[in-house]
Amino acid sequence: MRIIKETNIDFMKQRKMSAILSAFIILAGVISLVVNGGPKLSIDFKGGFLVSVQYTEAMDVTEIRSSMGNINIDGQSFDFSQEEIKHFGGPDAVLIRVPHIEDAPQNFAQKIVDHLYDSFPDKVPENKNNFILGKGTVSPKIGSELSGKAVMAIFSALGLILLYISIRFEFKFALGAIAALAHDVLITLGIFSLLGYEISLPIIAAFLTIVGYSLNDTIVIFDRIRENVKASKRETYHMVVNRSINDSLSRTFVTSLTTFFVVSVLWLFGGVVIHNFALAMMIGVIVGTYSSIYIASPIVVQLHENAAK
Amino acid sequence: MKSKLTPRFLIIGLVLIWAIWAIWPTVQYQGLSDTEKEILREEGKLKQLESRTIKQGLDLKGGMYIVLEVDLPTLMENLAENKDNKFNRSIASVRDQLKLRPEADFFTLFKTASSDDNLKLSRYYYDYGSSNNDILSSLAEEAEDAINRVLEILQNRVDQFGVAEPTIQKQGNQRIIVELAGVQDSERARALLESTALLEFFIVKDVNTTNDIMVKIDQVLKGDESITAVPETAPAKAPEEIQTSEDQTVSVSDLFGETVDSEASSDSAVVDENMFADRPFSSMLRNLGQSIGVPEQNAYAIKKILERPEVQEKLAAVGGIFLFSHKAEEYPMVDGTVEKMYNLYLVEDEPELTGGVVEEAKANIGSQGGSSAGQPIVNLTMNSDGARKWSIVTGSNVGRQVALVLDKKVHMAPNIREKISGGGTLIEGFADINEAKDIAIVLRAGSLPAPVDIIEGRVVGPSLGADSVRRGTQSVLIGLALVLVFMLIYYRTSGTIADFALIWNIVLVLAVLASLQATLTLPGIAGLILTVGMSIDANVIIFERIREELQKGKTPRAAVDGGYDRALTTIIDANVTTVIAALVLWQFGTGPIKGFATVLFWGILVSMFTAIFVTRTIFNSFTNRKGFTKLSI
Repeated sequence: MRIIKETNIDFMKQRKMSAILSAFIILAGVISLVVNGGPKLSIDFKGGFLVSVQYTEAMDVTEIRSSMGNINIDGQSFDFSQEEIKHFGGPDAVLIRVPHIEDAPQNFAQKIVDHLYDSFPDKVPENKNNFILGKGTVSPKIGSELSGKAVMAIFSALGLILLYISIRFEFKFALGAIAALAHDVLITLGIFSLLGYEISLPIIAAFLTIVGYSLNDTIVIFDRIRENVKASKRETYHMVVNRSINDSLSRTFVTSLTTFFVVSVLWLFGGVVIHNFALAMMIGVIVGTYSSIYIASPIVVQLHENAAK
Repeated sequence: MKSKLTPRFLIIGLVLIWAIWAIWPTVQYQGLSDTEKEILREEGKLKQLESRTIKQGLDLKGGMYIVLEVDLPTLMENLAENKDNKFNRSIASVRDQLKLRPEADFFTLFKTASSDDNLKLSRYYYDYGSSNNDILSSLAEEAEDAINRVLEILQNRVDQFGVAEPTIQKQGNQRIIVELAGVQDSERARALLESTALLEFFIVKDVNTTNDIMVKIDQVLKGDESITAVPETAPAKAPEEIQTSEDQTVSVSDLFGETVDSEASSDSAVVDENMFADRPFSSMLRNLGQSIGVPEQNAYAIKKILERPEVQEKLAAVGGIFLFSHKAEEYPMVDGTVEKMYNLYLVEDEPELTGGVVEEAKANIGSQGGSSAGQPIVNLTMNSDGARKWSIVTGSNVGRQVALVLDKKVHMAPNIREKISGGGTLIEGFADINEAKDIAIVLRAGSLPAPVDIIEGRVVGPSLGADSVRRGTQSVLIGLALVLVFMLIYYRTSGTIADFALIWNIVLVLAVLASLQATLTLPGIAGLILTVGMSIDANVIIFERIREELQKGKTPRAAVDGGYDRALTTIIDANVTTVIAALVLWQFGTGPIKGFATVLFWGILVSMFTAIFVTRTIFNSFTNRKGFTKLSI
């Protein structure tokens, strides 16, 4: 079977169009990021408390909200009715996120669980251990360390990749690849911001995987360009790049499709914990495939033409 | 040509045998029921089996992950002798700075603070050297030693608690990471780890001294405009709560040391606003006879008042400290309602005896006839030194109250009736027998050299974990099936070869994980799925090349050779970049991220082997056959 037969599409001719499209999507994301004051970071990075609990029947979020309006622990009162309270996976599970509090009572996450348990006595499992789906406490200390580490991870990965491509190819290829990566991460970050999803530790891992995947795709095309440049001296650079993309189009299509299958299954059936991770990957597969054709390659052509002048 | 392939088949065969050998214990372990595991555990064979299986991470199995940090400022306080105000101020300033800049190094801050304040460290740490620098470096060593002791003690506690696969390790020189997979009651485990297990015996000050100090505290606070602001330091609605207490009945005799009994109700009066203004401290308290009651809703305000420096000064003047009871208990009020109250005790500021003397601690149910009949208790046996001191303390304080204090909380404060010479005593005041058991464990394991703070704690409930495993496995299988079917349709016989390589790839990755004793986490499953994608990609690149070669009119054999040769550089270049990303993740990541990176890293390496080496060997065994003319691709 063969879905994509021999093609001869002038991808490089469409590069202005694609640049505008990308710029538009990135701009939308950036505006959303600016309006929201940066990406929405999870407690992994900011510190705070996260509690998820399982009731025995469907719960109304507004009811829980109002019950969270007055929590009293040894005379210290808290109002969490304005915090993030939402369903978690199903209507009978609830997730609550509370930012870090200076001077919080000892074992605060458990106190929140206790309050949630006692507030709806007829809708909870008998054993409290079955009530807790998960709970987390992160001090801002850990959070700030982790943010530093995540930034370090992303930049050192990019640096090493830049170095590797410069050695194996040419510097202009490295620039094209890095531009494509920045493009992919920005778009994914922007979409997450638009959807109001938070950036947690696993999402950072997803970002790095997107980086890896997108690079993989880009390098397969670059490899073809390198090979075709050697083989034919008569064609213009523009034509060589075009032919290289067309040559590898069938592979690009099949790989992207199979990978997309797999991550979308993960997104659909992987469960609540992994849901957003899979979403980031899905966006990454689409954007990564697009960027290796429409961002990385045109930049290489442009840099080549500039150098030739 | 045939002979050329034999060593290749040999390698493949050996790897296959190794993979099955490596993965077998995991398969075996998964098939065991809980009772079978119990039997193996008794035979001592379970540990051996577990050491060869892939562990399930907390997110799959449920359990808890805790990062503990040793409280260095307190450790330094504990080590110091002759502490004075100057020293306390310096430590307090370091503490404040650490709150603002948590990433700062304690010893650097302590150094600056001591030189800024002109603090001669040799005054407080004369055992540790003469110059400030010498002392600081030996204190740093002492801290290092302390964390090692903490590690040992925690290991001891966890071992006695009985968790299947505990992991306790040091991170850096101030932190300890504890992972307890499959632990059901996370609350108990948390309490067990966090407890400093500092057992102290304090003599309770007499009623008159207590009343005096309460009057003094009232006087200090009275007229102080900011006292009304004390409740406001509690967020949100605390001020209202303080006011509600003003409308409740309290005994006027509170301050005069009379006990509350049924007759006391005659002197009861409602605390009004005037009374609150007049006695801002004691009007929030209740008289419970031998101790002072702190209604639950006033506990925070009282704690805040007691922390105030002018109150601390008054307390220091009489050489006493206030300690809260371990938990709030219900007391019947004169108007028939029940109020939950903590007890507050004024005790001598130095303990008579500390838990270092404990030789044995056992949880029990109090025997019939005693005051603690039917209640959970902990029986303590002291060593000879402790027994001697204990008999002196009890002998010279007959008739007074002694407070048994664990981690700065009073568990009980009985009256000493007579001299106790045997060195045995018991502690009561536990919620249930489990709590008593856990306290016995921590007392046996010994107290920590310094308190530890939980700076990160994560708990995954068993039901969420089970759900994750089910869904994770399900999606891997569905995703895998989709890919397998697609490859079969798209590349036919060649697709079958790629499918075979893919399944083998997964088995091999699991085998590598099992032999590394790696932990499979949910992100790890995601990594496995990604590996599936990468492994398929290598084959897709190869197959597309072979198709191109065939189109150029090459023979199948030449096309296969040409396709593999040309695809190889592409695959290596593409995979090396992903390996870079995986290595960086592994380097920087913690816990779940590391799991993801491990799987991704090995997945890529294994996929290079299966997708290139294994499939090529199979292809060649086809193309080498006589009469082979058509390749199904």
